[in-house]
Order: sequence, then structure tokens, then C-alpha cells
Amino acid sequence: MSNNHRAIAAVLGASVLLAACGGGGSGDSSVDEGSGLTGSALNASAGAPTGSEGSCSATTDGVNWDALMTEVCPKLSDYNLFADASDPTSGPTRGGVPYDLSTALFSDYTTKYRFVFVPEGQQVGYNASEVLEFPVGTVIAKTFALPENTAMRDGAELVIETRLLIHRTDGWIALPYYWSSESDATLAIAGKRLTDLSTVNNQGQALTFDYAVPKAADCTSCHSIVPDLAGPDDQREQIFLPIGPKARYLNTNFSYPDGTVYNQLQYWAEGELLTGLPGDFNTVEKAPVFDDNTHIPSLSDAELNDAARAYLDINCAHCHRADLTLPADYAGPAGSSGVQLEYNRNYADSPGKFGVCKDPVAGGKEGYPYDVIPGNADESYLLFRVETTDSRHKMPELGRSTVHQEGAQLIRSWIDYLPRASCSPST
Amino acid sequence: MRQARTFKKRLLVTAIAGSVLLSGCGGDDGQDGVDGKDGVDGQPADVVAELAVTTSGFSIPEGAILVAPDAADGDDITEALSVALFDLPEDALVVLPKGRFVVTESIVVNSASGLTLTGHGINETALDFSNSNGDDAFRFQGGNGITVRDFGVYEAPKNGIKATNVNGIHMTHTATVWEGELEANNGAYGLYPLKSQNVLLENNYAFGSADAGIYVGQSENIVVRNNTAKQNVAGIEIENSTMADVYNNIALGNSGGILVFDLPGLDKAYGGNVRVFNNQAYSNNADNVGAGVVGLVPPGTGALVLATSDVEIYNNQITDNDTTAVAITSYLLVDDDLPSYPANYGATIGNGWSPTLKNVYLHNNTIARNGGNPRGALLQPIIDGYASNMNSKGTPQTFPAILYDGIGELLSNAGELAAFNALVGAEAQADGVNYDPYGPGDQICANSNINGNPAPDYDEVNTGLVYPDDPAQITMVDGSGNPLPHLLIDQMVNNTFLNCVQPRLAPAVVNFRNNIYGCTGDDLAEAACAL
Repeated sequence: MSNNHRAIAAVLGASVLLAACGGGGSGDSSVDEGSGLTGSALNASAGAPTGSEGSCSATTDGVNWDALMTEVCPKLSDYNLFADASDPTSGPTRGGVPYDLSTALFSDYTTKYRFVFVPEGQQVGYNASEVLEFPVGTVIAKTFALPENTAMRDGAELVIETRLLIHRTDGWIALPYYWSSESDATLAIAGKRLTDLSTVNNQGQALTFDYAVPKAADCTSCHSIVPDLAGPDDQREQIFLPIGPKARYLNTNFSYPDGTVYNQLQYWAEGELLTGLPGDFNTVEKAPVFDDNTHIPSLSDAELNDAARAYLDINCAHCHRADLTLPADYAGPAGSSGVQLEYNRNYADSPGKFGVCKDPVAGGKEGYPYDVIPGNADESYLLFRVETTDSRHKMPELGRSTVHQEGAQLIRSWIDYLPRASCSPST
Repeated sequence: MRQARTFKKRLLVTAIAGSVLLSGCGGDDGQDGVDGKDGVDGQPADVVAELAVTTSGFSIPEGAILVAPDAADGDDITEALSVALFDLPEDALVVLPKGRFVVTESIVVNSASGLTLTGHGINETALDFSNSNGDDAFRFQGGNGITVRDFGVYEAPKNGIKATNVNGIHMTHTATVWEGELEANNGAYGLYPLKSQNVLLENNYAFGSADAGIYVGQSENIVVRNNTAKQNVAGIEIENSTMADVYNNIALGNSGGILVFDLPGLDKAYGGNVRVFNNQAYSNNADNVGAGVVGLVPPGTGALVLATSDVEIYNNQITDNDTTAVAITSYLLVDDDLPSYPANYGATIGNGWSPTLKNVYLHNNTIARNGGNPRGALLQPIIDGYASNMNSKGTPQTFPAILYDGIGELLSNAGELAAFNALVGAEAQADGVNYDPYGPGDQICANSNINGNPAPDYDEVNTGLVYPDDPAQITMVDGSGNPLPHLLIDQMVNNTFLNCVQPRLAPAVVNFRNNIYGCTGDDLAEAACAL
């Protein structure tokens, strides 16, 4: 452990040097190597919102917190989240921590660069199954870049957009920024459609498709839980939430810029960014790593099931969820469909919630009698929806313009693996 | 919130040049576009100058937020629309331009409070989504007190106007249209409130949907009135919804005119207290191009009640439907694999969904000229039976105008479904969901319906029961002892089938922006409400 402490300290070295001008800290900005991290939290000297009205044109040394908290700025650079304003893929401003998810939402084969910025003096609260409890002031920046070849994600890529999730005092908001030039990204409230982008996927398939930067209003379609209105007088509103940064997806190693490879949750905890991480780390949920390099035929049945469940969870269950660990009487926006695909839902309790032998309700297509027919992926409507780009049928509804061949193959294999049900073909 | 408002103004000014002209009357309260409330200067609202009046008579005051007011026919107004509907102030009034315009993305509105989105009229403002890259044309998610009115949505790739988890959604004088032939790729639902409270759909026109033209799902406190649904797979469909009044509508040229469904596996497991009255459901003879359960609806169906209890259908004119006027069926007609029900539907049965239906009451409907060409795969064996001598009369019969499958009731009365009682959760049990033999209050009743056939065709209006409800009347069983269809049939008038009376159901009440709509509200004096 002490080695890792040292490693973190090394990472922090640069920012600590800058603490003097940041002010407001403990005053003790020296790092006492190996003796804990007091004063050297990952977000030490990151600054924090002052509570005053911000300005998009303010020149700030670090993150422009006040603007983030109060302003919708026309340019991404106004928030000063990156040391090099033209590069949102690395070099976060002081306090920004890069992270990754073990299994990620498919977004047209883009590579995603994620950073979380937590105000100085604040910490993220652990949550076992839901998204971590990010304090007010938190900013999550996610940049989407389309690689020329997904097998070489370190190679050439087209940086397309950066989405911000900002936790303000009255809740989260989402802002999409489109990289309209190489130097900066501009606010795209109405979204942006890019035509004829192309990549080559891991299967060697050359793909050309339109890419849609979502409208700001689209964000809520996925990033929300909705009240199950209990009667004519129920005026509760939907609640906006991040999706990805849950313990189970962060519970994986990450290669930090200094070369440290470390479990993200432990890195955050030891970096005083995360509180409440269980002492018994084995109790922390862990979703498997599934990406385009995963060789599906090599997975054991258990691994296949685990990977498919994680894939369905991160790609579908932000909408297709209900009950379990949600606040009482809230559901995902598509919880009402009856198809609920959460990672921590017990399959055997109710295969129907996974679409097994379930008639499509608000949908359906000739030749696909049920959502999931164990043993018959070809006639399972769920897989059809994953494999089509027809907007009448495709799933997810947003953020996907091309087919995720590797993901579809995973779901196909999973459907064929599932225990047979009454709608399965007779053998 | 103050900052959000600042932003909004900035955006709107840039996006919607026309609104700049109007900002003078909004004052500093940040509520530009409020109509009907006292102005900041104390003047009553009715002195606010009027900008326009829609063809339905809705007055658009100055101060409204105008979307692309200078757009010309054929212009793409997607961006202006998206920007105008993002992060709205409370009680905003947003006005679509007059003409026919192109929209190329889904328009999504979140948590709008008191929003009115209006065009200039159902025919005067047309939005063409035929080249949209999105799915739904409009989607309202969350929010309360939302009115959508006076425009038409054409060729949506998926749903026309969807509203989910809204408390108070009012759609009036809108059209959702897929032009040309009814085809499988004609989008999905037209008007589509889902998981909502206080739903008021009136004066709308739904044409050409490959699913339901007007669909209300998993909602409560619903009034659907004065709409026309034409040439959809389902004209009007109330699904897993509670407290719904459907009246004074016209459903014609659909595959099925008016449907009341409870489908398994949904979050709101079951509905009920649905009243369908004083509607016209005629010539619903379109080929069914739909998929899923709605794709099973036999073409030529005037009305269909599927697995929904507590439904009252009365004083409707149900005519010229090729298959049947009213079909009342359990879910066993859709899925007869009873042994698999616990595995496939156990969870939803626990939440109160039931394949059976109880207390469906048909009365005072005028039924004429139905059953002339019955068809539909779902009913084919039954159709064949009635068309041959394999029915209770022993000679070919005109297909029943009122058709009741009876199998759920028969099995319940025989105790064959008693094992399902153990699956029913406490909450549903407390609500009366059970699989006991039917008591008097559970029965399916049809009386005082009017045979509107002209002589000499009067004797062709029949009531049919696929199975008798009384196990003692079972005379035909298969090798395993399962009852076979008995195909009972007799004339609708003066026969003994379904001859009972049920208590009337309570009217639906819609509270929209603190006004009450429906038979206990603004329609107190409406003739249909006195029936």
C-alpha cells in the first residue's frame, strides 16, 4: 500500500506546488511521503465554488467553478477544465481525475475520455449499487472521439464532443459541447448531426454512419429516474442523475498518467476523494470488463452471463429499471415497459423482466414474437432492436447510429445460452 | 434558477428573433408568455393584445414565445424548436409557425410546468417528420399541466406525440398522421400518454398508425372525447389504465376501433373502471399490419376488451365491422399455454394482472351490420366453427356481434385457476384480484343492446360464447378432459346469454390546471354524460 501512496503522492506533486496560490487550504501543502494523505487529497487545491454568480469570461487559475455553478457558457474553454483548452482528452485542470468504466455504454465506437472534478474539501460518498454520491459542485466531463480503427484506440481519432454533467445546488444539469474547431468546443443545445463518419471496428469492418451529438434536452431521456405517479395529486418530478460512475463499473484497474495502475475505487479512497468504501473490498460490486477486445467464444458460461448482464445494464438499464435499489416509487424512464435489465436483478426470480417469452408491448415486429426467446436469438425482438438502426425499433433509442457488432454478438450468445423457456424452440 | 432564466433569455433571443419584439410586455418576472394572469402592471390579462387566434379559437397573446416566426413553407425549423423548448420558464406559451415545416430530429421536452405548445390550427401548422433522424416526433417527459394543441405531426418515425410521467397532459386539436396506405412502417402510436395522471385528449385526429392512433397506457384519470381515429391498426386503445372515460369519439376504418387491454408484464399491472360510451365505431375493416399483441386484433373488430375487468360499454353505435361488434376475451385467447403462466407471468400475476376479465357490461349499444366477413388468425378456428355446422345451432351462423370467449370464467368456476390465487400479491388481493368462481358482480353482462339491422337481416345480430361459463354445461371434452369450444350462439335480443345487469361505473375525473374535465366537470351538461 505504501508504494501506492507514494505513487499518488507523486501524481499530486505538481498540483501541490500550485497550492500556494490556490489558498484556502490547510496551509500545510507539503506532502509527507508515506504518512497518509492529509492535505494531499486528489482534489486538494482544486478550488471550489464560492457561491457567487459566475462569469464565463472570468480568468481563473483552476476550474471556473462559479461559472459552472451558475452559467451556461457558450464555449467549453470558459470553464477551464483542461490545461490545454484544445485537448479534452488529457491534462485536466487541477483536481480533475480521469476514470474509466469496466463495461461502457456503446456510443458508435467512440473512445471516451472521462474526468471527474470534485471541489476542494468535498468528497464523494460511496453507494453500493447506485451511482456514487457526488457532492454539489461536481463536474463530470466526458469527451467522445471516434478512432480511425477501434483496434488501435491510441492512434488517430476525431474528437467530436464533450458532455458535461454539473451538479448544481438545484440538481444536475447536462450540457453538450461540440468540437466545432480544433481549438474549442461550442455549446450545442440543439445537438449536431455529423454525416459520413467512418471507422474500422475490431472485426475489420469498415463502417460509415452519421453521428448525432445529442440535444441538451435528450440528456434527460436517459439520465433520469421518473416518479411512479401515485395519484392525481402526485406532483413529483423526475430526478436527473449520472449513470456510469457506479461502484461496480469503477471497481477495476486504471492506468493513471504517471504509469500507476491501480483500482479506481481504492485510488479515490486513498486519495481522499471517496468516503465510505467498505473495509472489506470483496463486498464491493464488480462488473466484468467487456470491450471490443473481449473474445466472446472464450468466455465460460458464467463469464458470458456476467458480461452480458453488465452490457445490458450499462446500455439499457438507465431506462429499463424499476424497484431494487431505486428510491421508492421511482423507475427508469422505460421501467414501465416491464423489461428491466439491471445488473443486480435476479434472473431466475423473473425471466420475464428480461423479456423472456414476453410479448412486445409498445413495439413488435413481424417475425419476432417475443422480446427474448432463449435458444432462438434470431427471432428475439430484443436482439433485433440491438442490431437495427431503424429508429422505429432501435435500442438504445439515443446515441447509437451504427450497430455494435461486438455487443450484439455478446447478447446473441447470451440469448442462446439462457435456460430454455416455454417459448423456446422445441428440441 | 435565476441564472437558468438568464441563460434562457439569451438563447431565445438568439434563436427566435421574433420574441425580441415581445419582450416588452413580459416584465421582469421572467415569465414571458404567461397567458391569462394579471400583468405586472396590474392590468387584467384580457387587455393583453392578441397576436393571433388558432382555428380552434385559442387566443395567442403577445408575449408568447414564437418559434421561427418568419419560416417559410418547407423550412427546417428543428433547431429553433429544440432551443425554444429547452429549459422553459413556467407557464410558457410556445407558438409554432403557420405553414408546413420540416423537422429532422425528435423534439424532447423535460419537466415542463404549465407549458402550452400551440400551432395555428390542426391544418394550419403541419410538421413533417418524414426525414427525421429521431424516433418520436414529440416526447414530453415529466412535467405537469402541459397543453399541446392546434398542429399536426406527419410521418413520425416512431410515436407521434408521446407524454410520459406527466401529471396533467392535454392534447387538443392535434393531428398525428401517416399518409397513404396503412403500412407496417407507419410509425407506432399517434397520441401516446404513458404513465401519466390527469390525461385529457380531445378534438384530435389520428390517422394511419401501425399501432394505436390514440393510445393511453398505464395511466390514471383519463378523458378521451371528441376525437377521430381513422385507418389505424387500433383506433383508440386504453391499456393497463384506470378511471378512463372514452366518449363522443369516432373510430372508423381501423383494424380494431376501440380497444381496452390489460397486457401482462407492465409496471402498472392492470387497469379498470373504463367507460366507453356514445362513440361511433364503424367500418373498422382495415387489414392488420401491426405487430405484437395489437397485431393479433382481428380486422373488422368494432371494440375489443382483452383481460380488463370493470369495463362498461354503452350507448355506442357499432356498425359495419366485418368480424364482430364487440369481442370480450380473456388473455387465454392470446396465450393458451396455461401451464406456463406461472413461469411466464408469475411476477405480473403477483402484481395483479390477470388473464381473466370480470364485470364487463355492455348495454344500450346500437349494433348493426357486423360480421359480414369475419377474419383474423386469432379467431380463425372460432370463425370456422360458426361458419360451419360445428356450433350450438348445428348450422352456419352469422358471426356473433357480441363474442365472449368464456374460457377464463369457465376455468375459474371449475376451480381450475385456484392455484393462481397463491401467486397474487397482498396488494392486488386487497384490491379484489382473485381466481375464485365468478360471483354475480364478476359476470359479463349484455342487455338492452339495440339490433340496428334492417329486416330481413335482423336475425343476424348474434351473441356468441365460445365456452359456456358453467362447468355443468360442458358436454364436449378432448382426450385429456379439457373442454372443447362449444360455440354457443343465439340472437342478441331476447336470448339468455350474458343476461344480467351490473352496477354503473364511476365517471373519470381529470383535474387539469385546477379545472375539472369530464362528466363531473366541464361536461356536466353533455348529453353523453347523462346516458
